[in-house]
Amino acid sequence: MDEYAGKMLIQLNINGELVSLAAEPQETLLDVLRDRLGLTGTKEGCGMGECGTCTVLIDDKPQLACLLLAVECQRQAIITIEGLSKGRQLTSVQEAFLDEGAVQCGFCTPGMVLATTALLTENGQPSEEDIQKALEGHLCRCTGYNKIVSAVQLASKKINLSEKHK
Amino acid sequence: MAEASRLLARPDSKASLAAGGTELLPRMKYGLATPQKLISLKGVAAAAPALATDGSVGLDALMTLNAVAASSLVRENTPLLAAAAISVGSNEIRNMATLGGNLCQDSRCLYYNQSHDFQFTAPCFKRGGNRCYFIPEGKKCWAVFMADTAPALICLEAKVHFTGPNGLLTIPLEQLYSNDPLRPVTLAPGEIISRVMIPARPMHRAEAFAKFSWRRGFEFSAVSVAAVLDLEADRQTCRSARIAIGSIAAAPLQAQKAGTVLAGERPNDKVITAAAEQAAMEIRPVPHHGYSRAYLSECIRVQVRRVLHAAMKPFSKHNGRNQHG
Repeated sequence: MDEYAGKMLIQLNINGELVSLAAEPQETLLDVLRDRLGLTGTKEGCGMGECGTCTVLIDDKPQLACLLLAVECQRQAIITIEGLSKGRQLTSVQEAFLDEGAVQCGFCTPGMVLATTALLTENGQPSEEDIQKALEGHLCRCTGYNKIVSAVQLASKKINLSEKHK
Repeated sequence: MAEASRLLARPDSKASLAAGGTELLPRMKYGLATPQKLISLKGVAAAAPALATDGSVGLDALMTLNAVAASSLVRENTPLLAAAAISVGSNEIRNMATLGGNLCQDSRCLYYNQSHDFQFTAPCFKRGGNRCYFIPEGKKCWAVFMADTAPALICLEAKVHFTGPNGLLTIPLEQLYSNDPLRPVTLAPGEIISRVMIPARPMHRAEAFAKFSWRRGFEFSAVSVAAVLDLEADRQTCRSARIAIGSIAAAPLQAQKAGTVLAGERPNDKVITAAAEQAAMEIRPVPHHGYSRAYLSECIRVQVRRVLHAAMKPFSKHNGRNQHG
C-alpha cells in the first residue's frame, strides 16, 4: 500500500532550515522532531504539558512540543536546542549553565536553556522573581533549581557585558 | 469561524475544536476525548484588543493568555484579568492556551484526568459509568471547574459572544456555566466563543485576584478568588462589590452575601474580615485534588480577606503614592 496514505505533506522551518515531510495528522511536533528528524535534544518528559522538557521556541516564544501537532506548526519559525549554538560556539546562556554547574542529569536542560533564552531576549535584566516565573513550568528532578537560577543571572550578565563591548 | 462552527454542528461530525490545544491534547492522550477529526484554530489570527467608544473592552477569544496579560489595554482597564491570565499554568502553556479555551475548560478530577487503563476497573460518572472513585459512596460526579480567568471575568460582569448554528449570540459569562460536573459549559455543538466583552471601567474601582495552589506552574488552583469593589466618589465607601471564587464547584461561584456585607461600608479591616468570614460560610466548597472541605473553606476565608485588602490598598489613606491617582 501507499506509504503516504493518511499522511499530510508538511513543510516545517526548523532551526532556519526548511524541512518537507509526510506526517500523520495526529503526530505531535515532538514526535516529528525526535523520531523523524533525529533532533533528540528536545526531550519527552510527561507528554502532558506539565514538565517543560519538550520546550521549543516557536516564533521566539517558548511552547510545548508535546502539545503541538506538527501539522499546525507550518509557516512558523521553530528553534530547538540544536539550533542555538553556532557549530561548537555555545551561546551565553549555554555557557552560563555550564559555568554555574546548572546541569546535573541534563534531561531538563534543553527546555530550561530555551526558556531562559526567550526570557533574556524579552527582559535583559530579570529579577529572581522574573526568573522563577519564567521557569515555573520546568521540572528538574535532580532539584538543582538554585544553580539554574544563578545560571540565568550569570547569562544575563554575560549578555549585557558582550553587548557593551560591541 | 463560521466554517468551523458548521463542521462541528453536523450531527455525525465527531469533531473537536482546538484553539491552543493545551486542554484537548492531554485529554486525547488520556483517552478522555476521542474525536475522529480535529478542527484547529491555529491558523486564525487573534484580533487586537479593542476599546469601544463606550469604554468597554473587547477581547478576541483566540488571544493567548500571555497576550491578554501583556496587553496594555487589559492592564489599564482590567488589571484583575491580567493577574488572572498570568496565574494560569506555566509560561509555555500561556503562550499556547487561549482566553476562550480557558473559559471552556472541562471540569477536572484527580481520578478523571489521568489514564484509566490499569488503575480502575470500571468507568466513573464522568466517563459515562456509574461510580465515583473520589467519593466512593457518592451518587454523582464531583469534578471541579478550575479555569482561573472565569471568576475574574464574572466579577467584571463580562459577556461572551459566540458563533453557532443560531448565528451570533451574546450571554453574560455567568450563564455559560451550568454547575453540572458532567457538562460544565452550556455551549451546544457548533457554538464557539468568539469574543469576550468587558463593560466600561467606572471611575473608582478596587480589584484584585489571587490564586492559591501549592505548586504554582505545575498545578491547577486549589482556590482562586477575584474581587471587584465599585467605590463612591469619596474613593473610600464601597457602593457594590462582587466576589467570585473558582475551583470549588463545577462552576465559578459568587459569594453574594459577602458582597452585601461590603456594600455601603468603608472596607476597613473589620468589614473585610466580616466579608471574608461570610464568604467562607456561604460557599460550601467541593473537596478536590486532596484538599478537604474544611481546608478549602479556610482557604476561601484567608484568600478573600487577602484579596480585599490587596484591592483596597491603592485607596488606603496611608498609601501616599496613589492619593492623587
